[in-house]
Amino acid sequence: MTRSKGMGSLKPVLFTLPAMIPFAVFWLAPLLYVFYLSFTEWDFMNPEKTFVGFSNYTDLLSNPAFYKALRVTLLFCAGSVIPVILIGLCLALLMNVRLKGSALYQVLLFSPWVTPTVAVSIVWSWIYEPEVGLANTVLSWVGLAPIGWLQDPKWALVGVLLVTVWKSVGWAMIFYLVALRNVPSDLLEAAGLDGANPWQKFIRVTLPLISPTTLFLFIVQVIGALQAYDQINVLTQGGPSGSTRTLLYMYYQSAFESFQIGEASSVAMILVCGCMLLSLLSLEVSRRTSHY
Amino acid sequence: MLVLRQFGKVARPLFFAALALLMAFPFYWMVTSALKTNDEIWQSPPTLWPQDPLWGNFAAAWNEAPFFRYMGNSIFVAGSIVLLQVINSGMMAYALTHMKFRLKGLFAGIILFGYMVPATAVYLPGYLVLSELHLLDSYAGLILSNCVSVFSIFLIRQAFIQVPHELVEAGEADGASHMRILWTLLVPVTRSSFAVLALITFIDQYNNYFWPMLITKDPNLQLVSAGLRSFFVEGGAYGLKWPLIMAASAFTIAPLLLVFAIAQKTIMQSVNMTAGSSKG
Repeated sequence: MTRSKGMGSLKPVLFTLPAMIPFAVFWLAPLLYVFYLSFTEWDFMNPEKTFVGFSNYTDLLSNPAFYKALRVTLLFCAGSVIPVILIGLCLALLMNVRLKGSALYQVLLFSPWVTPTVAVSIVWSWIYEPEVGLANTVLSWVGLAPIGWLQDPKWALVGVLLVTVWKSVGWAMIFYLVALRNVPSDLLEAAGLDGANPWQKFIRVTLPLISPTTLFLFIVQVIGALQAYDQINVLTQGGPSGSTRTLLYMYYQSAFESFQIGEASSVAMILVCGCMLLSLLSLEVSRRTSHY
Repeated sequence: MLVLRQFGKVARPLFFAALALLMAFPFYWMVTSALKTNDEIWQSPPTLWPQDPLWGNFAAAWNEAPFFRYMGNSIFVAGSIVLLQVINSGMMAYALTHMKFRLKGLFAGIILFGYMVPATAVYLPGYLVLSELHLLDSYAGLILSNCVSVFSIFLIRQAFIQVPHELVEAGEADGASHMRILWTLLVPVTRSSFAVLALITFIDQYNNYFWPMLITKDPNLQLVSAGLRSFFVEGGAYGLKWPLIMAASAFTIAPLLLVFAIAQKTIMQSVNMTAGSSKG
């Protein structure tokens, strides 16, 4: 009797092991390990890791390259997240009526999201070709000078951002379409009876009701932007002269190109902290806004 | 006002038609560039449709690098990951929603914590862990290191919460084991969530680039994104063979567009579920 009871409490744990073992091996252990490595100096080859305390962090904070990467990261976040959310919302508002062929439009707008970033980035690198690429050809049609899309430090980030935004707007639009369909129409009618014009209805009724979706998209997009790698790797490799090197790209380069494991680990910890802060913030906000 | 509405009736479809064309244009450009000769692709101004479409470019690109192998690798690895995630997410979500045990809160907390940690940030130590386990350069490494997903667990948990607990209790009263209840009662009821899990995970893993590229150096194990990228850099020599590069990109993308075309409804439905599961 006692034995079967013991088995009873073991069973649930057995059910969780197929997920928890790989999770511990490939997520938790690496996370603890990177935390430890951020306090050491190591070059991959040397069998010894030297414990150096906080010096990786203090070195980083006095390194201009870190601030440049931080600046690029923030620009990348702002430049991808804000357009994706705004354009996605505008498109969803325009599509939220009876529109012939809207299913087809949704599929076409959504398809960049489904396709491999590497493959579409290669296509875009052809579009950005300086001499005969489509982007500069179109500019010449409207009488503008050609742009060194991926070669000019002033434009390279814009070039990478265009691809990133192109990839995600359709995805954001679908989220907003679902949210807009869930806005109760009697609320909008009631506001109309109270004399609200369409703009006021949008600001006072629709926007607050779809705010959970906005929050979700914001968090997911920011975390995605912090992790962006594929398009940067194909289009610019962080260049020219660091103009597209984000913190994640810097982490990759110091880990796998210059083998400064300690420095790389401290950059990784900063990224982890940033993401956790954002996620906690989103949980807190969604807890507060879930009342209505 | 009426005029404006009439205008909207005409303008809106026109706007969306133009926008959809614009969004899809890179794909069109990819396919038409794949059919051009190298001279034509460098012509200015560019031609919208090749003078003489060279369908043979697709075969040439296919044979120039082991794309059959790359795509086979991607499909095999992504498929295996889907299977493992269905199993472990199902079991984990079942334990979290329909079983009582002491460590439940702790496990749920750990999973939530995992949701907040960006996967890319732990690639370096993950690489070291894999190397300790002698799993670098192996299918096992590619598959096992991706076989749990916090997103999948959340998605299935969200679906299982909505199944009334009486169903599980009835199963228990009939003497069915937990395994049986899970796979013959709960999974069929929540199959649309599992379909979403399978599709999203497959697409994600087929497209995966950074991590597989880090942990495999053996060209025979390359997944399709990494294979395409090395074809772009080496075989294509940055512009000498643009038509072939475009052809290769096209057949890399094709299986996903096909999956998307077939399972479009399920993928769109995933939006509803993802937004739901994010609320925890």
